[in-house]
Amino acid sequence: MLLDVHDLHVEFHTRDGVARAVNGVSYGVDEGETLAVLGESGSGKSVTAQAIMGILDVPPGRITGGEVIFKGRDLLPLKEEQRRKVRGAEMAMIFQDALSSLNPVLSVGDQLGEMFTVHRGMSKKDARAKAVELMDRVRIPAARERVRQYPHQFSGGMRQRIMIAMALALEPALIIADEPTTALDVTVQAQVMELLAELQREYRMGLILITHDLGVVADVADRIAVMYAGRIVESAPVHDIYKAPAHPYTRGLLDSIPRLDQKGRELYAIKGLPPNLMDIPPGCAFHPRCPMARDVCRTDEPPLYEVTESETDRGSACHFWRECLHG
Amino acid sequence: MAEPRGGTERGPQGGPEGKPTSATGFEKGAGPAGEPILEVSGLVKHYPLTRGILIRKQIGSVKAVDGVDFALGRGETLGIVGESGCGKSTVAKMLVHLEKPTAGVIRYKGQDITRLSGKALKAVRRNIQMVFQDPYTSLNPRMTVGDIIGEPFEIHPEVAPKGDRRRRVQDLLDVVGLNPEYVNRYPHQFSGGQRQRIGIARGLALRPEVIVADEPVSALDVSVQAQVINLMDRLRTEFDLAFVFIAHDLSIVRHISDRVGVMYLGRIVEIGTDTQIYDHPTHPYTQALLSAVPVPDPAARANRERIILTGDVPSPTNIPSGCRFRTRCWKARARCAEEVPLLAVPEVFREAGGPAAHDSACHFAEEKQVVP
Repeated sequence: MLLDVHDLHVEFHTRDGVARAVNGVSYGVDEGETLAVLGESGSGKSVTAQAIMGILDVPPGRITGGEVIFKGRDLLPLKEEQRRKVRGAEMAMIFQDALSSLNPVLSVGDQLGEMFTVHRGMSKKDARAKAVELMDRVRIPAARERVRQYPHQFSGGMRQRIMIAMALALEPALIIADEPTTALDVTVQAQVMELLAELQREYRMGLILITHDLGVVADVADRIAVMYAGRIVESAPVHDIYKAPAHPYTRGLLDSIPRLDQKGRELYAIKGLPPNLMDIPPGCAFHPRCPMARDVCRTDEPPLYEVTESETDRGSACHFWRECLHG
Repeated sequence: MAEPRGGTERGPQGGPEGKPTSATGFEKGAGPAGEPILEVSGLVKHYPLTRGILIRKQIGSVKAVDGVDFALGRGETLGIVGESGCGKSTVAKMLVHLEKPTAGVIRYKGQDITRLSGKALKAVRRNIQMVFQDPYTSLNPRMTVGDIIGEPFEIHPEVAPKGDRRRRVQDLLDVVGLNPEYVNRYPHQFSGGQRQRIGIARGLALRPEVIVADEPVSALDVSVQAQVINLMDRLRTEFDLAFVFIAHDLSIVRHISDRVGVMYLGRIVEIGTDTQIYDHPTHPYTQALLSAVPVPDPAARANRERIILTGDVPSPTNIPSGCRFRTRCWKARARCAEEVPLLAVPEVFREAGGPAAHDSACHFAEEKQVVP
């Protein structure tokens, strides 16, 4: 396993109290594998990624438990200096908003080149040549001319390509992409996702794709981890989950999206709202919104049960996963 | 207003762009009278680009909307889809008089309302209301929910007498699925989905006949989106509303619309019923757009043809000659650079009829199935 996150806990201390953002998340990614982490806002999907990358704001954030084992060693006890060497060179992140992630007063060539001058000790000239090569790689037309331009001179799709180029620069083993195409239009989104998938295959990288879009997940992922209130509620290979979800939350999500290929009647709507992280319901966090909830759900927190009926490696954090699977 | 509008006011180019046949694909949903409630023709909005501080010189213009025609029937929902910058939101703003059109006509029940002002405008506005995209910035944080929803009554006191307003506001809260006792709370005490319900309640307050909704659910989480879509669906029947539903999400638009118009760079390039557009698209842009939408079904991954467009949308300050989509179109030929394709039923489909025979602005229109 390239990356193995084990029982991760993250809290945020705020004026109003303690928000428990991540409550025992475990997942793994192999090289060449794409894991989609699916969840709504506040589900803890981005915070988990920040903890893995070591870019969590501390304080107010605090990792209160767990391990992040990358290439066999736990990253969490490492000093910031050592972390920085891992970041960029061995694992890299692509953010949703390319415009605010890029420095507006440096040319894209300087920003791409910096990866090589800082991490690899290259000369400025060599780094510039590398930057052009990378821009070609992510298919930015006229790279030689555009390398001198500034972020605002690029369109949204092109800026996201620059972010991808920057993440790829040092050929990391793992890329974490946090909603990489959410801000883009559909036609551009398709271009960028295709590029990302292609490069991932080429370099055999592990990819963690964080998204709320069930369509994008179905398109590219090998495995899915569905998050709710800071926990993984279901984990399965992508085909299994769409065919027969084993958790009522996953089922609700799948039923609540309108489909392009069907003119549906009324949509299924999950009732209520996602929980307040300062006050997560006892038992199963999803029980107040769950159509299947019974007494045990209000008191006993379900572990991630192994879905034994499946031939593949599946897990569901629902006491009644069997019913859900067949319902 | 069923008269053909061939050769009426056109875009600033004027010229031979007048539409000869079937104007807006307005067949279905026209209601028994067959008269549209809202009708738009040759709608144009150009924003001037200027240079200089003391001596201002116009050096060009942003052609946000560049000749849009459509009609909306009573109780009908027209979806307008397109990517960012295609002008769909500007159309919405012009419909509710938040922007003044540069050219073109907007008719409400046959009456030209484009240049109304004062009392006459106020009377019409009552009937055309808007729901905005962002539930966080479209509600005044210093006003209580009761004041927000009741504000339309201050402007149109004839709708509800003073003593009756509080009850009306509470009724409206109930209609959109919020607790009527929340009337004294402030917007920050509500979640995004609840705020959008408040925005909808405000839009409904004056009992309008038309609601223009600009990306009403795009800021919401998936599980909450479905709640709000279902609410709008229900209200539409309950209040017999006509909807102009503007969104970039093609799946949501299909779900809610009777007819759909696809916009590109300030113009509608294809318009028809939801089946015509989604199952029988004939314009290459519509086909590319539909094929790019991820479908939540991993089994469809393998056997689905993707049309990946190259390049970006051209700048609206510098629109390509002829067909505005030609710079990204894989079918473009010499004719596309010279001649503007009209939004009409393409000749190839005119005789045969069938679902492919709907308005499509392409010289080389061809049916192609792209949705699995």
